[in-house]
Amino acid sequence: MSFRFALVGNPNSGKTSLFNEITGNTQYVGNWPGVTVEKKEGRAKKIKDDVKIIDLPGIYSLSPYTLEEIIARDYLVDEKPDVVINIIDATNIERNLYLTTQLVELGLPVVIALNMMDEVEAAEDKIDIDALAKSLGIPIIPTIATKGRGVNELMQKSLQIAQTAAVGSTTGKSLDIFNKGIGKYISETESALAAHLQDIPFNPRWVALKLLEGDLKIIDRLNLPGKLLQEIGQRRDMLEEEYGSDAETIIADTRYDFISGIVKKTIERKRSQGALSTSDKIDKVVTNRLLAIPLFLAVMFVVFKITFGALGSFTIDWVDVLINETIAGTISGWLEAAGATEWLYALIIDGILAGLSSILVFVPQIMILFLFLAFLEDSGYMARAAFIMDRLFKRLGLSGKSFIPMLMGFGCSVPAIMATRTLENEKDRRLTIILTPFMSCGAKLPIYALFAGAFFANNQSLVVFSVYLLGIVIAILSGIILRKTVLKGEPAPFLMELPPYRIPTGKGLLIHMWDRGKAFIKKAGTVIFAAAVFIWFFQTFDFSLKMVEDPANSILGVIGRGIAPIFSPLGFGDWKSAVAIFTGLLAKEAVVTTMGILHGLGEVTESSTSLIGAMQTYFTPLKAYAFMAFTLLYMPCIAAFGVIKREMNSWKWTWFAVGFQTAVAWLVAFVIYQVGSLLGF
Amino acid sequence: MTNTFDLSSALEDYLEVILELDEKKEEIRVTDIAKRLNIAKSTATITVNKLKKLGLVIQESYGPVELTRAGKEYAEEVRGRHLLLHKFLIELGVDYKTAEKDACLMEHILSPVTMKRIAEFVNQENGIEQEHTTKTHRYRDAGSGITIGTADDEMGLRSTGVKSLNELRVGEKGNIIRIAGKGAIHRRILDMGAATGSEVVVKGIAPLGDPIEVTLKGYNLSFRKEEAKQIFVEVCRK
Repeated sequence: MSFRFALVGNPNSGKTSLFNEITGNTQYVGNWPGVTVEKKEGRAKKIKDDVKIIDLPGIYSLSPYTLEEIIARDYLVDEKPDVVINIIDATNIERNLYLTTQLVELGLPVVIALNMMDEVEAAEDKIDIDALAKSLGIPIIPTIATKGRGVNELMQKSLQIAQTAAVGSTTGKSLDIFNKGIGKYISETESALAAHLQDIPFNPRWVALKLLEGDLKIIDRLNLPGKLLQEIGQRRDMLEEEYGSDAETIIADTRYDFISGIVKKTIERKRSQGALSTSDKIDKVVTNRLLAIPLFLAVMFVVFKITFGALGSFTIDWVDVLINETIAGTISGWLEAAGATEWLYALIIDGILAGLSSILVFVPQIMILFLFLAFLEDSGYMARAAFIMDRLFKRLGLSGKSFIPMLMGFGCSVPAIMATRTLENEKDRRLTIILTPFMSCGAKLPIYALFAGAFFANNQSLVVFSVYLLGIVIAILSGIILRKTVLKGEPAPFLMELPPYRIPTGKGLLIHMWDRGKAFIKKAGTVIFAAAVFIWFFQTFDFSLKMVEDPANSILGVIGRGIAPIFSPLGFGDWKSAVAIFTGLLAKEAVVTTMGILHGLGEVTESSTSLIGAMQTYFTPLKAYAFMAFTLLYMPCIAAFGVIKREMNSWKWTWFAVGFQTAVAWLVAFVIYQVGSLLGF
Repeated sequence: MTNTFDLSSALEDYLEVILELDEKKEEIRVTDIAKRLNIAKSTATITVNKLKKLGLVIQESYGPVELTRAGKEYAEEVRGRHLLLHKFLIELGVDYKTAEKDACLMEHILSPVTMKRIAEFVNQENGIEQEHTTKTHRYRDAGSGITIGTADDEMGLRSTGVKSLNELRVGEKGNIIRIAGKGAIHRRILDMGAATGSEVVVKGIAPLGDPIEVTLKGYNLSFRKEEAKQIFVEVCRK
């Protein structure tokens, strides 16, 4: 038999850890509300039957608010999984059960995984699981997802339920949440719907509730006759009149009443309401009025210092030597021994290896950055950072939640743009997507390293820092301008859970780091590889496909000369720079690779002294700075472009985003070069 | 008959007047209210601000005054009391004009018990079930624990302890009475656990003054002061 089990729960309840345990998959887990930005599928291991596990984004209720919540709800109501595994944070049962009361109404069989039982035990709280299960009418399996405890039992139970449901009996029975008074309105609405059941692909009772609440998304989807909706509207008015509040509040309150009743009977919390938990004590320091901001800056400084400082450069040198000396030496030995032709030798050593090395040198550094980001997320600090920074982001017309995507933008725009899904407001999302690439990504670092090393040898780190800062300043200005023009409107309200601090597990951190880092390596193996071959080919051959002596006559040279005039006012109107900018669209690292190949130096890293010499004949310090500013700001690489298209879900917005970025880049470089020239630099 | 907020007679009169104007006019201005109550506009402005704070009326700066759902409900309830007392006095043989005047005074000061007895008496006399006076539920009973204050606070707010969440200091505690507004945010706040009657504790304020952090249903939630303004709580006394 084959079944589909959906994992559903509040953000931060441990769904992803559970998913990893069940499937053995390396799915990353964060301590940041909403790390599962898409539904992900895996196959359950250790089970004979064919069971597909679907990990849905965290939701608080079935009234979706953010894009990821819409994904989760749509899956549940449209795809109707065989079993819903509702994962509940045992330390926060009351709020978690709110979703459960709604899941039951969907009419799908539900099993509860009562997770984080270790924390409950540590706090010496007592939960009467049997009584809880009985009053909810839902089987409950206690679990500790991070340690894999209870996972087998959970799967056995789910399977058992799926099998009984498959032969006709379902455990998905409705809870007795609503008292007679409200229940009357619900059943009346349900019977009013009875004549239209063919138009309602969902559980009618759930639909009745949603219609009474006035859920516009459901109303839009159902296409019910206006008269019926009007009738239901009247019923809603009557309910509101009788109970003296709005329907949503009445229904939500009733759910919480039901839950409080159960919780009171089954749970005994040791810690009194007012007492401070360890997490609260940490918060007292971390979000302290005076300490919070210095602490935040210190954390950011340490992350950048380690990533881009001594440790980072050490790893770069190490990989550089590994590829360009050890590997390149070995391969060229083989090639010579095998008697390879000149062009094949050139393709492999000057094209492929040189191209790959220019990006692979950054892999360790990017992994270090991702490891730090993973630590900040999993520990719960990231949510505090958003809390601390929200006020500033509000000035930009954004919310503190935009902070995370932007911070991740310093690593790589691809995961950063994907992380914008946690933003609830469409305009906020679009704006954040447009601004995130201004945060200088790791791939742009070699460009600065090359230019700063060549032209600002004495102030290298200061100049690189100023480029990063320039990106931030431009993002701020762009944010303000866009908010006042094309993306007019109030920023979405900020409403965010601050999860308790947790010590991240080593395994969790590595999984998290790897999940993001592998995208980068994959890019190196595919796009960069192709780019290297592409650049090598087009700069080695001319239009009649003959090998050329002077790259200026090659295909790339011709193209470069064609687009070069665009960059003349910016100070770098030579064809090699134009080609480098052009190939930078494939991957930003390719800018350095191209510079190296075009200046005829073969393998190149930013520390190669020969390239620096060659560069100095083409550039002045001012031109170099304008060039860095342009590469910082212009259209991101093709991989990021693809993600922008996917997340914007509109070609118009995608082209607007990259058009805006490129225009800003041109303008900023223009101002730098022209003003700089006037000032006599 | 008790209310979520026990307002002074002055505030109750305001609500009644706004309700009355609401039924006649498109837009109610503070000037209209002042004229109807025969008081200075500045006085009316102060009182309207108090009602605003309580979430009973909405008014954009210098815009028209509108009753919120809670405000309308309250106003209707006051009027219900008024009509009932008026009827009662007429039945006792009091002339119409005096009955009107006395009902105006009595409606604010009679105890819930007396009101209930009068309602029963009038209903018995007329043999009708008068829903208005017998219907009770949580949204009106939420504040029933509050004792009725003395009438010496002439501007109206008898120490009710009702505040919007943004007015609470760090460490202060309150029970949620109502969340104003409509739409997605209102819904979201509810979904995040802010049910009527839930206890919230203000845990902290972000270093730059916004947003705030509260504990609710055993977990920590943060939102901006703008949202906090929409959440009305009854402050717990220590």
